[in-house]
Amino acid sequence: MASIDKPLEEYDSVKIWYQGLREQSGVEPTEDKSRLELLAEFCATLELDPDAIVAACLLRKEGKETKISIKGRRSMAERITDFQAKGGAEGREQAKRGNTIRSFLIHNGILLQSGIQI
Amino acid sequence: MEFKEVVGRRRSIRYFQSWRKVEREKIQIMLEAARLASCAVNATFLKAIVVIRDNIPRETLDALKTPVSALTIELAPVHIYTYVDMAAYKGAQARLKKLVDVGALNATHGWSHKFVDEFVWPNILKPLADNPNLASVAASAASDAGIAICQAMLAGVDEGLGVCLTAFQHDAINKLVKAPKEWIPLFVLLVGYPAESWEAGGQRPRPPLEEIFFEGEYGKPFKADPKVTEQMKAAKMIQAPAPLPWRKEEIKALARMFGLPE
Repeated sequence: MASIDKPLEEYDSVKIWYQGLREQSGVEPTEDKSRLELLAEFCATLELDPDAIVAACLLRKEGKETKISIKGRRSMAERITDFQAKGGAEGREQAKRGNTIRSFLIHNGILLQSGIQI
Repeated sequence: MEFKEVVGRRRSIRYFQSWRKVEREKIQIMLEAARLASCAVNATFLKAIVVIRDNIPRETLDALKTPVSALTIELAPVHIYTYVDMAAYKGAQARLKKLVDVGALNATHGWSHKFVDEFVWPNILKPLADNPNLASVAASAASDAGIAICQAMLAGVDEGLGVCLTAFQHDAINKLVKAPKEWIPLFVLLVGYPAESWEAGGQRPRPPLEEIFFEGEYGKPFKADPKVTEQMKAAKMIQAPAPLPWRKEEIKALARMFGLPE
């Protein structure tokens, strides 16, 4: 179990996320503090640090290229759906809970599609 | 719209007005454009089944999505499932003779009923019809189907619609549409009114003409004439390249409108 032992912004996966938000999506990640708060809550729920969450979606075998794990990705998508449903939020705020985590994983190379949430 | 502008405006639209129905006549126009496409031996290799998304049971809709096409499939109100009909060579003998009868294939080019019956059919087409798994048969059939799909796409753009050709899980939809076994699934052509602007961020990056087309022999680039390029720009065939300056803002707005991750 990988516990969080430093500020979230110092994890490589969070740096990659921030870079993706800035460069691909044109969003300044630090403007909305809830992003990091939601990621922290998700990490706590899974008892994993951000890098370990990304790693859980990947298949790494020695001497072979890293692949996205079908099982890992599916399982993570379900955990995000559960996470989104909890927390007492409704409507757009509820969607934001899940989408924040999806965004974190997407910018780390894990394809996820949430479907319309309007 | 002028033809060159239609070609220039086509984009793969990935955000559709999911709530807006598409007029049936516009779908008919797209299908007609496909039907009139060029095809070898006058065989209609392309077959298609039009399905209104809202008529697809939720379980089936979820099952037919691939990881990369899921959202677009969900957003598009009309799905046209396309197939190559590998049995299309059958009947080519009669169709070719009909082309002789209507003056499309003429004696000026050596065509006659006798030539079709005694040479073309037994020596060329029947072996192809009997061996649909030959790579050359599959390639020519897929090529013709692609041409027909392209015409449907362009007709859709001309009607003010957005179109996107994407992958789908064949088995899932087949329980609903019951396509014949000899039809090989190609892509689903998604149709609807664009929720993004028709520019969709600008014309997509493509390699220069000289990199992909040659003149006389491979390696000698077909050199584009700048004057002709300017004419195509004036005719709106060549348009402003992606990304247009406001594209990121547009994507942000779409993400917020549909509740999607950024």
